[in-house]
Amino acid sequence: MQDISEDILTRASQGDIQAFEEVYKTTSSFVYNVALRIVNNQEDAKEVTQEVFIIIYNKLKNFRFESAFKTWVYRITANYAINFAKKNSRIKTAPFDEALGEGAVENEAEAHIEEEHQSQAVENLLKEINPDQRACVVLRNIEGLSYQEIAKALNININTVRSRLKRAREKLMAVKQQVRGLTAADTL
Amino acid sequence: MKKCEYFKDLLLTDYIDGELAQKIKLELDNHLLVCPDCRVFAQEVKKRTVQPFYNVSAQPVPGVIWETVRERIAGKQEQYNPLEEFIRGLKNLFLLPKPVPVLASVMLMFLAGSAALYTIQVNQTKEKDQGEFLVSLLDSNGWGSQADNNSFGTPIEHYFL
Repeated sequence: MQDISEDILTRASQGDIQAFEEVYKTTSSFVYNVALRIVNNQEDAKEVTQEVFIIIYNKLKNFRFESAFKTWVYRITANYAINFAKKNSRIKTAPFDEALGEGAVENEAEAHIEEEHQSQAVENLLKEINPDQRACVVLRNIEGLSYQEIAKALNININTVRSRLKRAREKLMAVKQQVRGLTAADTL
Repeated sequence: MKKCEYFKDLLLTDYIDGELAQKIKLELDNHLLVCPDCRVFAQEVKKRTVQPFYNVSAQPVPGVIWETVRERIAGKQEQYNPLEEFIRGLKNLFLLPKPVPVLASVMLMFLAGSAALYTIQVNQTKEKDQGEFLVSLLDSNGWGSQADNNSFGTPIEHYFL
């Protein structure tokens, strides 16, 4: 995510819609993709993204520039998405064969299949872990945040980040152990 | 064996994420050279829990999101009336208890109260003195015998009597 100038943030906080559009353009891809991975559903990700930007708009006047804007947005997004995912019952544990990404359409172009395949595999893998663990895995493995940054974004202790990642990975290992020899991710 | 468990915990977290302190990382690397079980475990962790997330492409953001957000913000701005907001701000300025004006008001009330009490006390003393004076006048005219009984025999008493 690119940095946004203080001037744009100040104008956006004063209700300047064009400045807020700049904020949206800079952060929406990150917000949507983090939300998508945590709630693991496109429709829910859209709803979460909308709500996150309404929260950002409403709270921007209280943003004090003491912490990085990036961390602030991470925090709002991850926390809102985790709560949404916890409340939402649509997220169910995928069967092991689904977790392999077998849903890819075979007739499509090879590159597209590969991309779809990977995206589906990731989606199915993330279904295996709870929203708290999912947020840590997404921020670490996809967004590349450090443990310290994840702790700040989720407002939790750094050792909680460690334990959530450990449990998530143990679970992913266990899933894979049971489908050894069939894993689609092995081919990635 | 216990050391292997400890190292496996690190392999699942700090080691694979590059968060391990250099000294412990060196120790773990040396352990991996001599422990085939931990070495296989390290490879499995990387292959099964980290590699699937490599190069995950970002999904494009649906355009409908910004349209909805903009509409909702515009709706909020229509409801927003700067004049009303200004009046509310002024009201808050005067109605909200601020420490200094509140303290000054309390002090002023205390002083006013004290002054009122003092005035009442002075008036009461004056009335009492006047009453005593009238009684003494009555006594001096022989309308009361109390003054004789209460006489101290001082020169000033004799002067007035």
